[in-house]
Amino acid sequence: MTQYTKVDPPEGYSAPGFFATTLDRVVGLARKNSIWPLPFATSCCGIEFMATMGANYDLARFGSERLSFSPRQADLLMVMGTIAKKMGPIVHQVYEQMAEPRWVLAVGACASSGGIFDTYSVLQGIDKVVPVDVYVPGCPPRPEQIIDGFMKIQELVGNESLRRRYSPEYRALLEKYGIR
Amino acid sequence: MELQEIQKILLGKFPDDILSFDESSDILTLTVRKSRILDLIQYLKDDLGYLFLTDLCGIHYPDQELQLGVVYHLHNLLKNTRIRVKTFTSVEAPEIDSLTGIFSAANWMERETYDFFGVIFSNHPNLIRILNVEYLDYYPLRKEYPLEDQTRTDKDDRFFGR
Amino acid sequence: MEHLGKEHILIRPEDYDKNFSTLNLGPTHPATHGIFQNILTMNGETIVDAEQTIGYIHRAFEKLAERRAFYQITTLTDRMNYCSSPINNIGWQMTVEKLLGVETSKRIDYMRIIIMELARISDHLICNSVIGVDSGAMTGFIYLFQEREKIYEIYEEICGARLTTNLGRIGGFERDLSPLAIKKIREFIAHLPKVIRQFEKLLLRNRIFMDRTINVGGISAERALNYGFTGPCLRAAGVDYDVRVMNHYSSYNDFDLTIPVGTNGDTYDRFCVRQEEIWQSIKLVKNALENLPEGSYHMDVPEFYLPPKEEVYSKMESLIWHFKIVMGEVDVPVGEVYHSVEGGNGELGFYLVSDGGRTPFRLHFRRPCFIYYQAFPEMIKGSFLSDAILTMSSMNVIAGELDA
Repeated sequence: MTQYTKVDPPEGYSAPGFFATTLDRVVGLARKNSIWPLPFATSCCGIEFMATMGANYDLARFGSERLSFSPRQADLLMVMGTIAKKMGPIVHQVYEQMAEPRWVLAVGACASSGGIFDTYSVLQGIDKVVPVDVYVPGCPPRPEQIIDGFMKIQELVGNESLRRRYSPEYRALLEKYGIR
Repeated sequence: MELQEIQKILLGKFPDDILSFDESSDILTLTVRKSRILDLIQYLKDDLGYLFLTDLCGIHYPDQELQLGVVYHLHNLLKNTRIRVKTFTSVEAPEIDSLTGIFSAANWMERETYDFFGVIFSNHPNLIRILNVEYLDYYPLRKEYPLEDQTRTDKDDRFFGR
Repeated sequence: MEHLGKEHILIRPEDYDKNFSTLNLGPTHPATHGIFQNILTMNGETIVDAEQTIGYIHRAFEKLAERRAFYQITTLTDRMNYCSSPINNIGWQMTVEKLLGVETSKRIDYMRIIIMELARISDHLICNSVIGVDSGAMTGFIYLFQEREKIYEIYEEICGARLTTNLGRIGGFERDLSPLAIKKIREFIAHLPKVIRQFEKLLLRNRIFMDRTINVGGISAERALNYGFTGPCLRAAGVDYDVRVMNHYSSYNDFDLTIPVGTNGDTYDRFCVRQEEIWQSIKLVKNALENLPEGSYHMDVPEFYLPPKEEVYSKMESLIWHFKIVMGEVDVPVGEVYHSVEGGNGELGFYLVSDGGRTPFRLHFRRPCFIYYQAFPEMIKGSFLSDAILTMSSMNVIAGELDA
């Protein structure tokens, strides 16, 4: 018989006939198990991502079966690979087109901080143009590391308050990056 | 020997313009005056059978009088011989004739050389920057410019040994 | 209308019809594997012209190489054609060996052949499965990626890394092929033909696939040679130019290698040439593995090859060599050399100018897909958008190699 693991229910009060919890937790549970990523694969980390999506290190079992290449329908922007200065405005534009709630995962050393390419033409980390939630180091990171980063995103998604996107701190963060 | 014959033929056809011949490195290398580069390459393609342009790149020698150079590698596929042609120009007047009429492969390679070194190829169909951003106002691969972006704030040069 | 060098401009401004539309096949696109932009001028569904913009991942490798010691440049070469990084690594090491005048032993050559052919198989597996994905057939992709995982395991056993391998040293290898690596390679070569045959049954004589790829994106042999094509794209057009046979290096001439050649230069021919090259590579790996001669796994190049750590801690001269190599006080010969290897996409060349210093004076990479991608507008003129996508994926344009 196949062993199934069930997702644990969130904390709450249960009694015969009902289960009471906060709305945050239920929404977080639903969101974190159905993230639709946008794979922004630029270079070598993109090939490791393809391996992660493959059958061996399947990313689809975390709920991201459907990769969305349109930012309008995506939840998570996974930037994988070096971002050059020419590409920076495009990452910014793609981030702006995503609808709230949105998260960003910077995969690889180049996306986190420029990596080994400390040159005049490479953006030293995508956090110069978009706010980043989780950084995955590695050059390239192993598929297990990418999945680890993804699971940290899931933690962030599951524990996020519903009012976070309307809070003044978040608005100030977006102001800093020039995102309307 | 094949190389001696080619050397003799070329010296006969272009007596004053070939500035040097070199066989010390792996393939026959010759330096030519930049005004005759188009004729030389055309002659190599039509009469000596060097039908394939393998590579075209630039080089910058800051200590020479003619600082900017362009290096062409050609390949004779039938006889399996290669040849390297170099030509130099000064920084003040960096114009060299373009080879796009002879080899279509030269199109992007010349744009890359222009992008990196500022060598201006006359009669090139579309000589604009290809790899760097359009608003870059200097030619990065020249020796006087640094590798790193000088406006970056997160890396402290002291820790990187620079 | 063809005048000097303007073949790539396909319509004159005065012919421009008001009904033409512009479509931006932008840098981020699911079907372009890598980031490069094509602005297409379309007449309804037919493509009339294409304007290309590249450089979205320009990482200034050539400038970076002027600041790195010779053994550090191997890590840069990994990241050019990252689908088959060992070929780039070994190509660079062979260039430096050519500059130094070092002849490698047969064992090193055969080990290099095994590793390079595995890398070539890995590159062609990606390219062919992705042609399948772009025409709608996802299954082949999933099957072949499992085989790539096995190749990754072999790389891990040889050098420790999966993708960007940084494999080998100037003068040979850092360690011998372990018995486990040889066992893995043998098992892989025994198992792979079955999977490739399964993949071929899915796509090679599939009616839909053939209709989508025959006579799509074709180029003639003369135009291909003029554009500087090399590799599978040139062989599909009918010219049998393979650097392994023409300027043989690393004892490739000990093996008999048949060069598969196509006729039309269209997408189907490129697909078939790559399939046939996978079979050739399997044969080469098997022969090289069976006939692997005994010997040392590295040559004696004391100025560049780090001595083993046990000797560094016990013998004085190894300590001095280690210090000299790492601090960069070795004598490098002055000179220039051009060496090329047959990469996954064609002739990958390294033009190295050395002035005796610790780092190269100038290093230029002759990147095959940068040179042949120029021909893309000519290849797609008059075809539909879906054909353009298939042509692009069959040309195996890898952004890291395009922009360098």
